[in-house]
Amino acid sequence: MKPLDPRLLRRARHARRYVLLTAGLGAVTAALVVVQALLLAHALAPLVTREADVADVVPAVAGLTAVVVARTLVVALQERWAHRAATRAVAELREQVVRHGVALVASRQDADGTGAAVTLATRGLEALEPYFVRYLPQLLLAATVTPAALAVVLGLDWVAAVTIAVTLPLVPLFMWLVGVMTQGHAERRLAAMTRLGHQVLDLLAGLPTLRALGRERGPADRVRALGDAHRRATMGTLRVAFLSGMVLELLTTLSVALVAVGVGFRLVYGQLDLTTALAVLVLAPEVYLPLRQVGAHFHASTDGVAAATSAFELLERPLPRRGTAAAPDLRRAVVRFERVGVAAPGRATTAPHDLDLVVVPGEVLALAGPNGAGKSTAVAVLLGLVPPTAGRVLVEDDGRSVPLEDLEPATWWRQVAWTPQRPVLEPGTLRDAVGAAVSPERLEAAARLTGLDAVVAAAPGGWSTRVGQGGAGLSLGQRQRVALTRALVGDQPLVVLDEPTAHLDAVSEETVLDAVARLRSEGRTVVLVAHRPALLAAADRVVHVHARVEPPLGVGGAA
Amino acid sequence: MTPARRAVPAGAPAASERTGRAARLRRDPLVRAVRLLQVRPGRVAAALLAGAGSLGSAVALAAVSAWLIARASQMPPVMHLTVAAVAVRMFGVSRGLLRYVERLVSHDVALRGMATLRTTLYRRLSEGDGAALVQVRRGDLLARVGADVDAIGDVVVRGLLPAGVAVAVGAGSVALLAAFLPAAGAALAASLVVAGLVAPWLAARGARRAEERSAASRAEVAATAATLLDGAAVLTVAGRVDELVDRLRDSDARTAHAADDGARPASVAAALQPAATGLAVLAALVLGAQATAAGTLAPVELAVVVLTPLAAFEAVALLPAAALQVLRSRAAAERVMALLDPATAVDGGVPPGPAVRGAGPDAHGPVPERRSVAGSAGGSPSAPGRDRSVADARRAPQLVARGADVGWPSGPTLVGGLDLEVVPGRSVAVVGPSGLGKTTLLLTLAGLLRPHAGRVTLDGVDVADLGRAEAARSVVVVPEDAHVFDTTVLENLRVARGDVTAAEATSTLAAVGLGAWLDALPDGLATVLGADATRVSGGERRRLLLARALVSRAPLLLLDEPTEHVDAGGDDLMTALLDGSLAPGRGVLVVTHRTGGLDAADEVIALARTGSVSRARPRQRAGTARDRDTAQAARPAGPTA
Repeated sequence: MKPLDPRLLRRARHARRYVLLTAGLGAVTAALVVVQALLLAHALAPLVTREADVADVVPAVAGLTAVVVARTLVVALQERWAHRAATRAVAELREQVVRHGVALVASRQDADGTGAAVTLATRGLEALEPYFVRYLPQLLLAATVTPAALAVVLGLDWVAAVTIAVTLPLVPLFMWLVGVMTQGHAERRLAAMTRLGHQVLDLLAGLPTLRALGRERGPADRVRALGDAHRRATMGTLRVAFLSGMVLELLTTLSVALVAVGVGFRLVYGQLDLTTALAVLVLAPEVYLPLRQVGAHFHASTDGVAAATSAFELLERPLPRRGTAAAPDLRRAVVRFERVGVAAPGRATTAPHDLDLVVVPGEVLALAGPNGAGKSTAVAVLLGLVPPTAGRVLVEDDGRSVPLEDLEPATWWRQVAWTPQRPVLEPGTLRDAVGAAVSPERLEAAARLTGLDAVVAAAPGGWSTRVGQGGAGLSLGQRQRVALTRALVGDQPLVVLDEPTAHLDAVSEETVLDAVARLRSEGRTVVLVAHRPALLAAADRVVHVHARVEPPLGVGGAA
Repeated sequence: MTPARRAVPAGAPAASERTGRAARLRRDPLVRAVRLLQVRPGRVAAALLAGAGSLGSAVALAAVSAWLIARASQMPPVMHLTVAAVAVRMFGVSRGLLRYVERLVSHDVALRGMATLRTTLYRRLSEGDGAALVQVRRGDLLARVGADVDAIGDVVVRGLLPAGVAVAVGAGSVALLAAFLPAAGAALAASLVVAGLVAPWLAARGARRAEERSAASRAEVAATAATLLDGAAVLTVAGRVDELVDRLRDSDARTAHAADDGARPASVAAALQPAATGLAVLAALVLGAQATAAGTLAPVELAVVVLTPLAAFEAVALLPAAALQVLRSRAAAERVMALLDPATAVDGGVPPGPAVRGAGPDAHGPVPERRSVAGSAGGSPSAPGRDRSVADARRAPQLVARGADVGWPSGPTLVGGLDLEVVPGRSVAVVGPSGLGKTTLLLTLAGLLRPHAGRVTLDGVDVADLGRAEAARSVVVVPEDAHVFDTTVLENLRVARGDVTAAEATSTLAAVGLGAWLDALPDGLATVLGADATRVSGGERRRLLLARALVSRAPLLLLDEPTEHVDAGGDDLMTALLDGSLAPGRGVLVVTHRTGGLDAADEVIALARTGSVSRARPRQRAGTARDRDTAQAARPAGPTA
């Protein structure tokens, strides 16, 4: 990412405002730095040359006091706004990342899995704070104070200005040179360093396992040896990495020293007056200060910059097209899969492959097939989450036939109840989890059927028991009961049940059979992913789903 | 510090207060953790010297160039300025060079310390008793330990060293000014204290306050984001995404509010820097002007007195960040010490005697693999060990539980009054739904935890009293979360026994159904299983762990959910485990929540929620809905379709 990525300004409103404010404060700071230097020189010079008395410098001292107060206020304001803007801009980005991430994950477009997105949305983006609070202000000061101070020096003494102007470009030049010369070296070292660091952690993480096997003693020496190797590798990297810092320090300090000596000698020959010389002396370090600060905070900002870059990459990943047409009434409409196939991203597998099926209102349709055949993916296609990569899905109503992807998803989802294998409970009460607007009789009946009534009876607060984030506090089987109850008490015409697994804790076969029977009696359509014969027998029709593994391309044929 | 100070009676001698404070300092987790780094004073002094030299150069540069210019304005012969001119150039160079030296030396000190601390941590955790292991098992604690150790090391580089340098440079600058004009020196000292003590204190306070106030909403943000992304598809179909995003926004707004609160002291702290610098310069100017008028200060010296303070604040400007680093490092030190303390405090569980002896049997020959975990795990590569361990396999150890109450230390009893026997040639299956303490039971049988009551004995001796290596010679346990090391397939098997040959490894992997998987690996047995074993699926991981248990020499195997995530052939694998065809002549105990393949077991023990509640669980412990779930009391074992 560039030092100031335009995407950051585009995506985060608060970042935009903050950059404007910081630039403004940077301009004010530049003016104050210059005024402070000039006032100090004007107050000090006549005192040194004994041309003035204490009383003569009172106005300058008063002016200096005002400048100090103003600078103090500017810094306070800047710092206050920096934190404020950082948290708000991070929140803005987080919301976008989560929203887009949810859409990507739901449509299975996210190859990295949800873990990466969660880390990015939480810890990753938090790392932007040092970037906003420390790095960005210095970057903008480098764009304001440095040129302003240099311009004033030029007006005062062009020789000193030339000295600075010549050394100033050397700073980025040398840092770039050092960077280029050391890059390959540093990268190799860094890889070794990361690897060694990881191995130590791997041993620590595996300690319980080693203990369980009675083999925990020996690796202590290895931890020590790895630690030493890690240190040597790290120091090798640092020796190189700190070079750029040294060049920066060396160039900036040495230039200030050269300016001071040059000004001093021209004073001796009467080519300058003391006031000018002092002003130049005070201003010269100010030219370099923001550059040095940018260098100092650069490393602190890299994590945040990296996080922002991954956030933008995630945000720029395209989502499947969303239709706009209102979905037809699923109590009447027929859903037809025609040779539907979904290519697994990054793998030479199509699952399901060539799937033909018809979902007829009021019927119970079972999907069968071995693990990995694409049953759950077929469900995701039916739900309109995943677009098929081959074939098409049509929704037919009154002789009109519309592709599923042309329908407005929300109008489709409103008519569907879905019980996945691993149900998720959003935080709230048990009552919220099964759906709030339901008559108590209907709720109790459904709960009796799914066995949720026992869970509720045992829960400390009954229906008002709070279930935590992600349904923590409820076992998988209990969550399945909640989800099944929710499907039962709802009025969605289409119910999709992903068969619970064979875990002891899971809802039993009889419960699922009872639920299917109840749904059928209410005239609702059921699509059931099933393994077991009893469940398959309960269906009106069974569709077998199968996958196709493509032979690897170009391995033998390319030769 | 105030409460303890108040506790000292009014008339108490100052000495006792001092010793009290010293003791408190010794107890401070950060102080204790830093001590464990075992940094060498010589190196620290070198880093300090270089750091003070670097920032001192900056101050000297300002002072000498001020003198040079003021003196030059009097137009003396150029000769009189040459020394100053050379000095200015020299300070211009030494600043950067010494800074480089300081950074290298200090990082070296910190890295050495971190290596020492990691080794200490490893040693103490591996030698301590099960209580420490209990914590280690939970969550990603160990994953965090790496970062925590780094944070403790960082306190040297970013916390203590900058503080030392600031004190040295500050004192030097004050002394320099005081030599010319004592009053200006005093003014500089006062300003430095404001910028170097008050500002860091405020910064740390602000950070702590923001952290405290925003902790809850931050956790909420993380949890909501995780809920949304984990349940993305379900929530999307249920139409509840917007609702949860609103909740996320609310929590974020609360976090921002708390952060704002904390930023107030931080902004004051930041503003104190220019304020203190300005104050010092102004004071020097006014005091210096009067002294010059009075004739007590030479005009040239006035320039030095006024311009030096501008550079003197660079050292203290680093201190607010240093204070924050100390804060961060202390939190890390608290976590690390919490991990270390139980490991060292309760060491009674493992007498050192048998453990030392135990290093022998599993020893192995020279290590062919470069990346060896177990390769170095065995200790001495003594050949006789092999003979003895073959004899071990022929032994028939008996693992017996009698009336054992099982649970985490200081936790509730999860399984009560357990009686069972594991002997070579016999298989036992323990079934029950998740969360009933099956894993705990397994760890207790292996001697990694002590039973709350009753006994678990190996050949008549309490298994928890045996050394780890001694117990592991007879009983090997594979917990569900056993670690797959970031090394080759072969080395991962050698974790259990150092001299596993390639042929043995191949045949064992084939026996557990990983033959095809192994064939598909790019480098066969030499394939490195990446970080977090990304090349391994859940089911493959289970089988690999099973293979690891099988190559060990222990006659008794305790296995936690060996067929979890094993889709096809899971029941067959369970049958092979239990009917003795996979591990002939060994005793096998399996805990599982699956029911397939169990009819091959010699004995099936069913744990039921209701049963364990009524037998062993104190009523008041059963607080959550999950604990009291009675809906699906496990049916007594036996094959279910």
